[in-house]
Amino acid sequence: MLRTFKVEKFHAHLIPESTLFKVLRYVDRERIETPFLLIDGERIKEKIAMIGRSIRNPKVFYAVKANPDIEILRFINELGPGFEISSEGELEILSSLRVAPERIISSNPVKSLRFLRAAASYGIRYFSYDSSDEVEKLADLAPRAHVYVRLTVPNEGSEWPLSKKFGVELEEALELLLHAQDKGLNPVGITFHVGSQCTNVYNWNIALDKAKALWSKAERNGIRLTLLNIGGGYPINYTKNVVSIETIEKNVNSLIYDKFPEHVEVHIEPGRAVVGDAGILVTTVIGKAKRGDEDWLYLDVGVFNGLMESVGGIKYTYIVESQKHTRAKKRWTIAGPSCDSFDVIDKNVSLPQPEVGNLVLVLSSGAYTVSYASEFNGFSIPKTILI
Amino acid sequence: MIKFFEKAPYAPVEYAYDAEEILYKGKSKFQEIMVISNPYFGKMLILDDVVQLTERDEFFYHEMLTQVVLHAHPNPKKVVVIGGGDGGAVREVLKHKVVEKLYFVEIDEEVINTSKRFFPAVSSSIDDPRVEIKIMDGAEFILKRKPADIDVIIVDSTDIIGFARTLYTDEFFQTVHDRLTEDGMFVTHSESLHFHKDMVIEIQETLKRIFPIVDLYTAPIATYPGNWWTFACASKKYSLREVRRPHESGTKYYDEEVHLQSFFTKNLYKKLLNKELNW
Repeated sequence: MLRTFKVEKFHAHLIPESTLFKVLRYVDRERIETPFLLIDGERIKEKIAMIGRSIRNPKVFYAVKANPDIEILRFINELGPGFEISSEGELEILSSLRVAPERIISSNPVKSLRFLRAAASYGIRYFSYDSSDEVEKLADLAPRAHVYVRLTVPNEGSEWPLSKKFGVELEEALELLLHAQDKGLNPVGITFHVGSQCTNVYNWNIALDKAKALWSKAERNGIRLTLLNIGGGYPINYTKNVVSIETIEKNVNSLIYDKFPEHVEVHIEPGRAVVGDAGILVTTVIGKAKRGDEDWLYLDVGVFNGLMESVGGIKYTYIVESQKHTRAKKRWTIAGPSCDSFDVIDKNVSLPQPEVGNLVLVLSSGAYTVSYASEFNGFSIPKTILI
Repeated sequence: MIKFFEKAPYAPVEYAYDAEEILYKGKSKFQEIMVISNPYFGKMLILDDVVQLTERDEFFYHEMLTQVVLHAHPNPKKVVVIGGGDGGAVREVLKHKVVEKLYFVEIDEEVINTSKRFFPAVSSSIDDPRVEIKIMDGAEFILKRKPADIDVIIVDSTDIIGFARTLYTDEFFQTVHDRLTEDGMFVTHSESLHFHKDMVIEIQETLKRIFPIVDLYTAPIATYPGNWWTFACASKKYSLREVRRPHESGTKYYDEEVHLQSFFTKNLYKKLLNKELNW
């Protein structure tokens, strides 16, 4: 059946015409059961080709947590980048795809013993850390591994700050590098994370300044580092155009060029930037209600089964299936299907009026959606489908 | 003077036209139909807020949509035009005496009626005895034909992401392939190389999964945003770049030299499909 969607100019900045075309072709099928997540492989290809292009000596590792669907991983695997993982579950999927251990790193500073054992026996050699307990674990379970210490850096301007949970200051970082060396590990570098969906270019400036300070301290203490892991954080467009990857990388590259030796190897761990804007969640309107002067729209995807990041402040853009000639818009409070009052995705969203049963496309929803989802209240987790 | 602002979400420009007069405004089952008059372009046909044709320049599009494949084909006797309710493509096809039968398949009868009323020079051939009008969905019509039955199929649709998108699916192209005779040819418009490069590639790739010969040519269209308009064509046997029958007169823009130069150069074509053209 042919569905009619209200496509507007501001949507065009967020979803390429060919992606929308493929999505519409898919949802035109006779029998579809929402919710599901469509991922346009072409967009992933473009992003993989783009990321690292403006950096000298780059290696790209897809952060599996963003979307660990096996078909997505299989597709990315063919395109050549490595993978960044944190758990035995993620390792298991990569192992089933026979990804070589040299193409896998783990940048979770606090790893479970079970994962460390599995990773070491698989042959993974690159691990981050930020505590002496982790040094002990690594020395014990992954002797002689290449390790890189995580610095705290400001996360202002990123929508999903990460620095509070992990990272150490300069002095402690130096001690940890020395400690690792004492324990027979191979301290090779430094990592930091500017925060996910980071739209503030200057976070990388401060982070690289700090990394440079540690790099020099290490050198004065007899440790010659070779690796700079700049984490992830590249933003994608959710509602408006954000700073481009090329702009960020050109800035980062010139800073690295100025501050670090020529041979420095740069690891990048994009997750959101790879799959985020390649994904479109296809949901159905399951109900509408007027509560006081608020218009409520209920979808079959909510905070618990896919749109968890809305709680952290991510605002999505929606394309609504609607009658051919409806032009009037209303401001909607958009909620998920569960009984929990916490399950509210967004407020004050201007959309044309859909009917119950109509589809709502959620743009830029390929990353940190299905990987966060639970089956709370019995609502299914959207399946990922590569188109 | 009032202005008409075109609404094409995927064009990064917005065209505004002076409207001396709104000659017609109505809603069909499928779309909003409007006819305005503009001091430069003359009468203009507008569907769902997008300009489809103007009296002044419609021949660029209609000639280039139809004449290239018709001249590449050695003997086009049976032709199908899907869409193009204005009749412009029909008029061009019938310039070929060799054409014996033309199925004109339009989903929206109101477009035909509007064109007959306001654009007699465009719709002039709709009532030719060789024409059989079918008011129905083009994909359905093609599906119901018997295999290897038609020489040339021409699609003249509206916006691809609108309701015309059934005319751009793998399934549709496959049916087209099966309904064409062994030397059959197919052509459809595929948007602008400036603004919709991703769509141009997508359609080429879809056709390539089905036809052994797929190609791309372009024409300059003043009133379609992006202007450098593309046509995706496919063939079961013959190259589309060759003119196989003497040029029949009565065209304003198309001729044998235009045919040859309108195709995307082989080098650029390769780069396009390898996604090496970045603009």
